[in-house]
Amino acid sequence: MSQKVVIVGEEAHSGQPDAILKTFALGSCVAIVLLDPATRVIGMVHVALPDSSVDPDKARDKPCYFVDSGVEYLLTAMSQAGCSPSGQGMVAKLAGGAAVMGGNDKFNVGGRNVDAARAYLQKKGIKIVAEDVGKNISRTATVHVGSAKVGLSSPGRDDWSI
Amino acid sequence: MTDSREELIAAVQDVPLLSPSVSQLLEVTADPKYNIADLIRIIKHDAVLTARLLRVVNSAAYALPVEVETVDRAVAMLGSRVVVGLALGGAGDGLFTRPLDGYDSNGEGIWRHDLFSAIAGRYVGLKATTDFTPDLAFTGGLLLDIGKAVMSQFLVGKSAAMLADIANGTASDYLEEETRLLGLDHAELGYELAKCWQLPEVLQNAIRYHHKPSQASEIYRPLCYAVHIGDTLAMMAGHSAGSDAMQYQLESGYDAYFKLDEQDIGMIMLQSGEEFMQLEEVMALVMEA
Repeated sequence: MSQKVVIVGEEAHSGQPDAILKTFALGSCVAIVLLDPATRVIGMVHVALPDSSVDPDKARDKPCYFVDSGVEYLLTAMSQAGCSPSGQGMVAKLAGGAAVMGGNDKFNVGGRNVDAARAYLQKKGIKIVAEDVGKNISRTATVHVGSAKVGLSSPGRDDWSI
Repeated sequence: MTDSREELIAAVQDVPLLSPSVSQLLEVTADPKYNIADLIRIIKHDAVLTARLLRVVNSAAYALPVEVETVDRAVAMLGSRVVVGLALGGAGDGLFTRPLDGYDSNGEGIWRHDLFSAIAGRYVGLKATTDFTPDLAFTGGLLLDIGKAVMSQFLVGKSAAMLADIANGTASDYLEEETRLLGLDHAELGYELAKCWQLPEVLQNAIRYHHKPSQASEIYRPLCYAVHIGDTLAMMAGHSAGSDAMQYQLESGYDAYFKLDEQDIGMIMLQSGEEFMQLEEVMALVMEA
């Protein structure tokens, strides 16, 4: 079994059935998981902000920080493993995007990340088949490549999956 | 509940005092007009702190071509914020690295969360619309959760029920649950420790009101808001490994002191994340030594 830890602003992908992709404490960040049924390759990118236009330099240096450039980077990376670079035939799962209690619109980074991810995936024609987003829960996501399950955990709570 | 409160206050008395040089460093740097020469003088009189600074500045993390041999040059290289952080890192007999079992933190202590809070709080401070010292928000951030390090042992096994109470509306947030169970919350307990350590009054207040800045007196309120927002951004960025992550209310009212729009908040998270990755390695040399 191989485990790849994905930190904020990074991606990982694998087609190995025993591989695990894991990202810790998402907070307002979102884990976008792309699944390709044709190749059985699964990728995950851990994005922090919705739109790369706020810092084009940063987007060039760390594209996976942002929803739009992160999805594109992950698609390109997965294409090296035989997937369609356009995402054709893929489906997605989302996790994260937690909200601040009592927070106003300015602090709703999690909500904006989720909205941006949904919109960008729709633009790419990638259907979201499952998601666990929002609320005031900081999630750790564990992707089991073989089963395509995304396990979720948070301290003090029972584990669950999507 | 009364017994718990008294036990907690007694536990604070068991935490080792800060060394005189660390206390002096915090006292000196709490003054917005402090002189860097005073900071250097304090370090030079503490052989342990001098050795720690030289070890860090000459470590692989800085990869300097020439060895640094003097305190003056080490302080110039590290900057006063990092120096204060490194001084605090060895304080309290491992207080900052003590696993927070009562918060189900998987062996994590408070220091990584507090370091991100400190960095983010300073960036918030740079957006002040009134007279403000951003470096104070950094120091306040480093100290904000010292109460959790003491309180943790009293909360073991209780987090699931606490979270359930918050989810079903019995309590408004984790602070209220701490108070219900133990008679006071971690901010109040941190304040008790800050008094015991004789920290400067401005830092005592930053610790006490980091979740309720609106209750701070007017002179301390801007700092308490900066530390409060830094703490919130650290949780949003995922730098909180415990059961209480995202379980605190954000207080409004910061607009009176800081000009923050939606984009600023995103950029502060981004900049803080980058600075955190640089400082984490350096601080780990001291924190986990």
